[in-house]
Amino acid sequence: MHANSIKSDSIKAKIQLNILRAIVYIILIFLTLLCLFSFYMLIINATRSNGQLQGGFTLIPAGHFFENLKNAWTDSSINIPRGMLNSFIVATLTAVLTTYFSALTAYGIHAYDFKLKKFAFGFIMAIMVIPNQVSASGFVQICYKFHLTNNYLPLILPGIAAPIVFFYMKQYMESVLPMEIIDAARVDGSGEFRTFNRIILPMIKPALAVQLIFAFVQSWNNYFLPGLLLTDSKMKTVPIMIAQLRSADYSKFDMGKVYMFILLAILPVIVVYLILSKSIIKGVTSGGVKG
Amino acid sequence: MATVRLEHIYKIYDGGVTAVNDFNLEIEDKEFIVLVGPSGCGKSTTLRMVAGLENISKGELYIGDTLVNNIEPKNRDIAMVFQSYALYPHMTVYENMAFALKMHKIPKDEIDKRVREAADILDITEYLNRKPKALSGGQRQRVAIGRAIVREPKVFLMDEPLSNLDAKLRNQMRAEIIKLRKRIDTTFIYVTHDQTEAMTLGDRIVIMKDGLIQQIGTPQEVFNEPANIFVAGFIGSPQMNFFNGVLKNEGGSVYALIPAANDGKGAKIKLTEEAAGKLEGFGDGKEVVIGIRPEHIRVVREMGENTIKGTIDVSEMMGSEYYLHISAAGKDVVLRVPMTDLPAEFRSGIPYGTEICFEFPAELIHMFDVESETNLLK
Repeated sequence: MHANSIKSDSIKAKIQLNILRAIVYIILIFLTLLCLFSFYMLIINATRSNGQLQGGFTLIPAGHFFENLKNAWTDSSINIPRGMLNSFIVATLTAVLTTYFSALTAYGIHAYDFKLKKFAFGFIMAIMVIPNQVSASGFVQICYKFHLTNNYLPLILPGIAAPIVFFYMKQYMESVLPMEIIDAARVDGSGEFRTFNRIILPMIKPALAVQLIFAFVQSWNNYFLPGLLLTDSKMKTVPIMIAQLRSADYSKFDMGKVYMFILLAILPVIVVYLILSKSIIKGVTSGGVKG
Repeated sequence: MATVRLEHIYKIYDGGVTAVNDFNLEIEDKEFIVLVGPSGCGKSTTLRMVAGLENISKGELYIGDTLVNNIEPKNRDIAMVFQSYALYPHMTVYENMAFALKMHKIPKDEIDKRVREAADILDITEYLNRKPKALSGGQRQRVAIGRAIVREPKVFLMDEPLSNLDAKLRNQMRAEIIKLRKRIDTTFIYVTHDQTEAMTLGDRIVIMKDGLIQQIGTPQEVFNEPANIFVAGFIGSPQMNFFNGVLKNEGGSVYALIPAANDGKGAKIKLTEEAAGKLEGFGDGKEVVIGIRPEHIRVVREMGENTIKGTIDVSEMMGSEYYLHISAAGKDVVLRVPMTDLPAEFRSGIPYGTEICFEFPAELIHMFDVESETNLLK
């Protein structure tokens, strides 16, 4: 009798556990679908003509994919390959410089003891709370004064000072970077820059990969500053070109073209993500020190 | 190979904390020096100052005849092994060992030769192409030692290299360091908090506390003639027993009385003539601290001269010997008694509460000043 009741309790517990799991999975599947839905709609919309798009919403693909592709590619007001190349140059340089110099700054604060170290850290953190838009008007004025419009430097160089990336790197270093490794490199005869480039950077590879992806995507999607500084059609980046397509006059306006361009525009981002995400692996530093 | 001279070395941190206080030491060429002491005594800081990883606040440090206070670590011709191994995780064992040589622009074939020789000495040749994460703790520490060996440095620095290993591996690696030392024959400075490592490895031991050197001496000297109560208690396991006592002159002999012993009746220990000679200047009633090592106390059947009575609180069977914790003279007195020295009825176990008598051999007693805590017999 007693054994039977234990058995039935165990079956009850198992059923309860399975129900709980089912609920959790349903929620997770729903959230995944929600994330993928916008991508799905983008692909669907890229297959529909302007007329169909004006007609309303549908989940079923139409047959205007190649037509939209041809229209977008041959649009005389924009040059898609050129825009992609421009965006790629700006985003790549921004991502690399932002990540490298933020890591270097974080390393400086992490590894060295100097007077005003706490102040330096606090100062960088304080910059983080100032919204980009507040300083932008002054920055744009400076760029106009120094004739830096239609130039990629104002888009790339300010990225070097990225407090958020710095903060992320600093936190990451605190968790994975023992001072003894730096001491060992010093005793081994490695100079400070060489230690950073040859020993520290490989050790923080996962953090670098994460920040490279974030910085690349952020720069690739950046509309605010390029919109204010780039007027030459040869220099324009993808977000400006998309905005240009969307604001075309009534006779030229084609939503199919816009969706197709957006679809093309996200492809490089996906490729960059796929390449870099391989580096986001756990345990890169494991084995170096007792842990 | 070089001498190392530390002259009045101080390390004072910004907040005014003195981590190392007037450190003076002359290390001979090819000598193995061990710095030992409890956590925070300044031993690692001293080593890091020798390495150049910490600035010297005051004093002069010479390696060979060169004043190295302001010379960078890489130019001091030293190699260092760290407690946490500090291997470069993304490099193979070979690359880890070759890194320092590459930095010093040694030709490739010479690097290869030296790395393979060191790997051979440390028995890690088969792991040369592995990354550190694929090695066990002991193997990693060998790589860390290998990385230092290939440098062929003037001075070999080791900062608690065995602390992260388990007890069995630690004993094994300790023996290997002794062998290694014979093979590479250079000056060693070794930091540890483990007195067994200090005693077995060091030609001389430097015992530190609160940034101050307590004693410098050979393992025999620090064990047999500790400079003060701290050294006496720190070196030796289990630690030395201490009793409060007073000196008494009687009939031409000098006695040490332990008033609290034998249920308040006191115990009277007759000192040797040599000890009496050293204590000559002190009058009757001079308060002292009497020290005796657990292994120097003998269990006796009956009360007699130099004996104290107590009851057993705990007995720890260590295999060939017993550690007996005895409540006597108001203290927990520890005895280390070989099995063969115990009365036959106690060999299979000693019941708690058993009354037992023990005797102090007068020639093995240590005597310390109550106030200055220094050894009065030294």
